[in-house]
Amino acid sequence: MSTVDPVDPVDPVDPVDPVDDIDARATAPRRRRRWLSVGAAVVAGHVLLALFVPLLPLQAPTAQDATAVLQGSSGAHWLGTDDLGRDVLSRTLWGGRPSIGIAFGAVLLAALLGVLIGAAAALAGGWLDDVLMRVNDVLLALPSLLVLMLMASFVGRQPVVLTLTLAVMYAPPIARLVRGATLGVLGRDFVVAARLRGAGSGEIVVREVLPNIRGVVITEVAMQFSWILLAFSSLSFLGLGTTPPTPEWGLMVAGARTYITINALPLVAPMVMLASLVLAVNSLIDRSALGEPS
Amino acid sequence: MTGYVLRRAALSVGVFVVMAVLTYLGVAALPGDACTALLGRFATTEKLAQCRADNGLDAPVLQQLGDWVAGLLRGDLGYSVKRGAPVGELMAPRIRNAMLLAGVASLLAFPAAIAVGLATGRREQSKVSRTVDTAALVAMTLPEFVTASVLWLVLSVWLPILPAVTVVSSDDSIIDLLPNVWLPAITLAVLVFAHVMRSMRASVSATSRRPFADAARLRGVAEATVVRRHILPAALPPTVNVVAVTAAWLLTGTFVVEVVFNYPGLGRLAVDAIADRDTDLIVALTLLGLAVYITASFLADAVIRLLDPRVRAGVGRS
Repeated sequence: MSTVDPVDPVDPVDPVDPVDDIDARATAPRRRRRWLSVGAAVVAGHVLLALFVPLLPLQAPTAQDATAVLQGSSGAHWLGTDDLGRDVLSRTLWGGRPSIGIAFGAVLLAALLGVLIGAAAALAGGWLDDVLMRVNDVLLALPSLLVLMLMASFVGRQPVVLTLTLAVMYAPPIARLVRGATLGVLGRDFVVAARLRGAGSGEIVVREVLPNIRGVVITEVAMQFSWILLAFSSLSFLGLGTTPPTPEWGLMVAGARTYITINALPLVAPMVMLASLVLAVNSLIDRSALGEPS
Repeated sequence: MTGYVLRRAALSVGVFVVMAVLTYLGVAALPGDACTALLGRFATTEKLAQCRADNGLDAPVLQQLGDWVAGLLRGDLGYSVKRGAPVGELMAPRIRNAMLLAGVASLLAFPAAIAVGLATGRREQSKVSRTVDTAALVAMTLPEFVTASVLWLVLSVWLPILPAVTVVSSDDSIIDLLPNVWLPAITLAVLVFAHVMRSMRASVSATSRRPFADAARLRGVAEATVVRRHILPAALPPTVNVVAVTAAWLLTGTFVVEVVFNYPGLGRLAVDAIADRDTDLIVALTLLGLAVYITASFLADAVIRLLDPRVRAGVGRS
């Protein structure tokens, strides 16, 4: 995984077999670009929706109507109503806000933590590197959903608690990647040149290392964003994330399962939204950076 | 090999002991305990103190830790305040159910995943191979409760093939449980299949392009033999690791899927225990999960050593 940003004039030697590379370039891009733009559009749509849903002419997502319970699709309720007579369309469109908001906050914090810890470990070396990476390994080994459930149950389900927990639990993979990528760059001539010039550690990280590892780090952060989204919606599904009556996809799916035989729309609508967002985020992550063994 | 196994076993036990103590202290450090959860909003200071005294929760943490370790050595996993029963008794039937679920899911997923990974990895660029890979990626990406709900909707609501909701209790016989194991097992199998298959596919495709595979082909070795003798032994080790981790996950990490199908396994017990802040039960379940993971990774390393002469000789490690 010591992939270095190809825009690197200093060292043209590439570990990838050039024949393979030409092959990949010839066959993949067009299809990949098309999916990339579909993915980008879907993600942008979700983000815009999450930001501006209060401006849409929707019924209040928490407004109950005991006279219109579990209705199918109609002119008044395009996606029908749930067991409390709430408008499913409105709840579905509002339902991304908690997850997307928390996932954004958590992933930004995780990226910050990961870059700081990873770069510090790589630069410092020695015992500090050992300590940081062992702590990192322990955090990586913890089942994150279990830790999240524990924090939610014992500490509380406030967004602050959940965001911080998510950030700590999802920073370790970023830290490990940043450390590895930084070590890959540190030995290069331009870093040595900067050192000889008298540049300090901070300057080397910001000006020499980060620009060169930007690509892999962004990919990793995007991956973690999608994991965080999954973790948070699973937590809500289990009843330990968002508190009712706030509309949230995981919570809606959990609630809708009991009356599935009467009305499937309250179950299907949030699932489609969540699935489309997660799949779109993943389609934006370059396939070549995913899942291949290093 | 014997020396290696002993060293590795000692290391595993050491890691387990350290993690067990950390887990206990970690859970004890969380605010709130079984008594605040049990008494809920009716808790008064006196009632809480009474409840804590009754259950030994008022002692200093280190003394509680000592008592707990002493209990563990006698085979006593602790006592569930919320459920009014020894933790061991609560867990025993759940372990059996979890093993049934994990067993069925493993049989459905692992052989198929390795076979499909091998087949698609050798023709990585073919249309079928890419389609299978994309489908697996989608399965890996979707939240478990979405995959589970889709399968449930299709297989038991729209085409009523399988029973929808588990109505069995946790200590029913395996025969009673069997009809209810299919939906959660299929869901888990889909997820596990995707992970193992993609790992196998990637590692087969990387291996079949390696010089030793080409050299064997150029020597005139039949393709089937190249796969069996040269590609498989080199491609399996990374997948063995993935199999070990996913098998451990199947046994102890299936919180969401068990909740979706109301299956009485360890995952649902863990979710309930956490929601009830049932500390002894939480610690015991966490330790069981830890032990399973450590054992699985120990077994995986041993199998990889058997499979891969390079690891035995200590080459190829930087």
